[in-house]
Amino acid sequence: MSEKRLRIEGLSKSFTVGKKVIDALDNINLEIERGEFVTIVGKSGCGKSTLLKIISGLLPYESGKVAYDGHEIREPGPDRGMVFQEHRLLPWLKIRDNIGFNLFSLPKREREELVGSHMKKVGIDGFADAYPNQLSGGMAQRAAIARGLAGNPEILLLDEPFGALDALTRIQMQKEVLRIWQSEGTTMILVTHDIDEAIFLGQRIIVMSERPGKVLDIINAKNLAYKNRADADFARVKKKVYKYFFEEEMPDLEYTL
Amino acid sequence: MKSFRRVALGLTPPVAIVLLWWYVTYTGKVPPMILPSLPAVGNAFKNNVLSGQLLADLGISLTRVVKGYLVAASLGVVVGTLIGVSRRFDELLSPTLHAIRSIPMMAWLPLIILWCGIGEESKIVIIVISAFFPVMINTIGGITDTPQQYLEVARLGKMGAFRTFWKVYLPSAVPQIFVGLRLGLSISWIALVASELLAANSGIGFRISDSRIKIRPEGIFMGIIVIGIIGVILDKGLTTIAKRATRWNSGGKE
Ligand SMILES: Nc1ncnc2c1ncn2[C@@H]1O[C@H](COP(=O)(O)OP(=O)(O)OP(=O)(O)O)[C@@H](O)[C@H]1O
Ligand SMILES: [Mg+2]
Repeated sequence: MSEKRLRIEGLSKSFTVGKKVIDALDNINLEIERGEFVTIVGKSGCGKSTLLKIISGLLPYESGKVAYDGHEIREPGPDRGMVFQEHRLLPWLKIRDNIGFNLFSLPKREREELVGSHMKKVGIDGFADAYPNQLSGGMAQRAAIARGLAGNPEILLLDEPFGALDALTRIQMQKEVLRIWQSEGTTMILVTHDIDEAIFLGQRIIVMSERPGKVLDIINAKNLAYKNRADADFARVKKKVYKYFFEEEMPDLEYTL
Repeated sequence: MKSFRRVALGLTPPVAIVLLWWYVTYTGKVPPMILPSLPAVGNAFKNNVLSGQLLADLGISLTRVVKGYLVAASLGVVVGTLIGVSRRFDELLSPTLHAIRSIPMMAWLPLIILWCGIGEESKIVIIVISAFFPVMINTIGGITDTPQQYLEVARLGKMGAFRTFWKVYLPSAVPQIFVGLRLGLSISWIALVASELLAANSGIGFRISDSRIKIRPEGIFMGIIVIGIIGVILDKGLTTIAKRATRWNSGGKE
């Protein structure tokens, strides 16, 4: 029904550090539909965060075009929310004020309702009056996701949001993000260096090269009937992604199961 | 229990000093003109309290500190904030301020006496000059050290400059501003007493130099002890306020 989409054309980005020029992104072309869940995998330093920051509007770019719904992105806007690798909750604000941090233009009542409903959504209601340093890593990251979602953005950008979590909490959080995506219909763009995570969450998986980051492949995983890590389809996709990063073959999971 | 142990440990050196003091004066190893006995100092204290002299002296000195410190602290926070948030202010003011800062207090004194005499204004000027810089420097540090990560979060919501200052820069800087405020307060007290010793006709510092002229060593000792105790009380008071203001910073778990 809706034709809104994020369109990236010929995007390149380089940084100047002293007299050295570092190319971070090289000719990125992407189209992401409204409501899609796209994951981006790539090695450390390949420009994943740079790409997300450009989409969020935090980072300027000089060559190429980035547009959402036909409008060029040059600055942050309420249609895009972002969750960072570190939770970035402001330590001097209670959780409720952190989640409502960027809802300052709304009347108090409306803000409180949004904060309340999003705390419930990510399962941290009851921690409204806690300070960030009273929360566990998983709880803090949930609060960060709630903050990203609180303004009801159309696109949520997630930059390795579970990178700092232990393996068990991580899997749980992945499931919850899927659940939120299914119920909210928010377009999700999630960056990770965890191949499993990328396949588990993404309808499409964008594989990026080493720096300067290029799009090596876009793998369609929409038709994986259900995302089961023990499934043969899952292993097949995993093998494919794996090959982009490592020369040697991945041990054959399909037959060892 | 833990805090009891800490207090007990902290009290050990003063108790030891008092015991030693008592021992050398009681046994007559040191003449009372050099080190008066504890009872003599105690008596001086009692007499000064009963006559109202001590309270009057302290009242005068503390009033000066409060006035001067309030001016220094507010100037320091405001100027430090301006320099911290604005490159233009930094370039405009920093060179001059750093030059002024390198002039020792004692070098100002003749000029201050020449211009303001030895009354109230001169004391307040001395406090302002001494306490302004530590407050300003720490405020600048606190503001400029505001993590870029938090500022990015504010930018995502297109938060205006004014709100960003109140919600991000200032709270982030508060712990370090309090470091400056604490430093400034103890420097205020020290500078005031020093200036009262050198040029004044009232106040606790003046009382000490007066005791020296009247050859009353017990008055000198009483004055020194009172000054030390007031210094500690002032610092404790401010630390308590700082803890309240930065509760989020202190582990938070109650
Ligand atoms: N502000 C900046 N100034 C200079 N160089 C930068 C800046 N931001 C990123 N870079 C460089 O650009 C490259 C890509 O950085 P980026 O943070 O996007 O990588 P990444 O893929 O997110 O890595 P990681 O997985 O480790 O987070 C790196 O080489 C980095 O050093
Ligand atoms: Mg990154």
